[in-house]
Amino acid sequence: MISENPRVSAANLTSKAPPLSEKFHSSLILPEDPLIKIRPTRSWSFIDLRDVWAHRELFYFLVWRDLKVRYKQTLLGALWVILQPGLMTLIFMVFLGLLVRVPTPGVPYPLFLYAALLPWTFFSNAVASSSYSLVASAHMITRVYFPRVMVPAAMVAVRLSDFLIAFVIVVGLIIYYGVHPTWSLLVLPVLVAHLTLLAVAVGLWLAALNVRYRDVGTVIPVLLQLWMFVSPIIYPSSMVPARWRGLYFLNPLAGIIENFRACLLGLPFNRDGLIISACITLALLFYSAHAFRRMEDEFADVI
Amino acid sequence: MRPIIQVRDLGKRYHLRKARNTNPTLREAVVGALRWPIERLGGRNGSEKNSLWALRHVSFDVLPGEVVGIIGPNGAGKSTLLKILSRITKPSEGEVDIYGRVGSLLEIGTGFHPDLTGRENIYLNAVILGMKHAETKRKFDEIVAFSEVEQFLDMPVKFYSSGMYLRLAFAVAAHLEPEILILDEVLAVGDATFQKKCLSKMNEVRSQGRTVFFVSHNMLAIKQMCNRVFIVNGGRLSATPDPATAIATYAASGANAEKGRTGINQFGSGLNNMAASA
Repeated sequence: MISENPRVSAANLTSKAPPLSEKFHSSLILPEDPLIKIRPTRSWSFIDLRDVWAHRELFYFLVWRDLKVRYKQTLLGALWVILQPGLMTLIFMVFLGLLVRVPTPGVPYPLFLYAALLPWTFFSNAVASSSYSLVASAHMITRVYFPRVMVPAAMVAVRLSDFLIAFVIVVGLIIYYGVHPTWSLLVLPVLVAHLTLLAVAVGLWLAALNVRYRDVGTVIPVLLQLWMFVSPIIYPSSMVPARWRGLYFLNPLAGIIENFRACLLGLPFNRDGLIISACITLALLFYSAHAFRRMEDEFADVI
Repeated sequence: MRPIIQVRDLGKRYHLRKARNTNPTLREAVVGALRWPIERLGGRNGSEKNSLWALRHVSFDVLPGEVVGIIGPNGAGKSTLLKILSRITKPSEGEVDIYGRVGSLLEIGTGFHPDLTGRENIYLNAVILGMKHAETKRKFDEIVAFSEVEQFLDMPVKFYSSGMYLRLAFAVAAHLEPEILILDEVLAVGDATFQKKCLSKMNEVRSQGRTVFFVSHNMLAIKQMCNRVFIVNGGRLSATPDPATAIATYAASGANAEKGRTGINQFGSGLNNMAASA
């Protein structure tokens, strides 16, 4: 919708001639078609990707701002990114690994845990922070125009950068426990992209809902807690009774997390789980982009 | 000469029920969701009762290089008009075609982060206002010089005095160079020196032949700056032959409103309350 048009250039006349003089008129060449068309909300429209692309610099700066501010305020800075999944691993290792003794298929439990808590931490942080992001940017939303989708998407990008830092630790653990890397490691980037898309899908939808219903913000921690337990993070999916497994893998996170761990640790790959997850992720992404678009127009009015 | 902005039968309706309760709880939402199809079936009459037209049947053209002043009482719909033109909110009806880039300054310092330094905030604020990063880089020294806060550039802006903060924010805003500039009471802040600076910058903008939309209660500024003035009242817009007449008309209607509030003004103040509660 918005585009840089070289034909539009403001005249650089230096003469000061109030009131308006006719020469300004002739010096500005207007484009044939309007750069901006403002129309009432249509019921069926999709996120305007060209407009998003035109505002890409804003996206970089939103990510930059968040990283910058975070590291200014915290003492440990980037260390937290590693500590968060690390500490969770420690907690579950003590309670589930030593006390409950969850059976794991041929890998040490700490490694088994961390390999899943790492993507999970990314996903849950991305969903949580993008869900709150629009409400937190209320001030900007009521004062300036920009594609609103930038705000939650930037939050996912911030969490993705955290994830990449924390990933270094898993490499250390793999070397420490002497796990042999396999070719399936090459699938990891695809899985990370898949997980990112799922986080965007869920984050966009919850962020838009949270603008209208603040209850969503209250429900999110509970929802995420539940989501963690219905995903194969602290236990292997093989512990789920076989007759429930079809239902179990309808959770799009289940296929991603299990395969992420499988690729990293050289465990058997669950292809069906991943295909189901990909289909559900795509459907969610389309639904949430559409829902966001529909709610977006009234953000400034109801936020 | 072709207009740079064409506005046709623009209208914006606010739903009062929503406005009164901006953040419905989940229970209300569920009840609302159940009731919604029934209300939908009831047709438009049902929703018409609970809604308020903040702006309606607004049509006008603006030629390139014109400086348009918009005056009117609080809650008349001025800000709604600016918000629609800036694409912050969508109209409920009508259409607008704009043949140029729009920069809107509904306030200065939007997106400033207290923990970031002056330098960092210049870059952030500029990109939020729609400036390209390369452009900001090019103008950076100019912006800093204009703001007069050079020594404090690497200090978080939370430690700035309000005057410094304001100058820095305005310096960024002043270097925005779109074809169309939308200003909402930006000049109403700051001391006399600051306002003088703002006005001289405005003069500069005007002399560059850019189109300006300008809402103000400062009649003197309107008189000095604008070559066209619109009066907005009760959501309706009336064009006037020249700024002097517009200001005289508005002053006269203001005097009447002082004596006994007219229907239109009550409508206006209702809107105002709504905006305050939102």
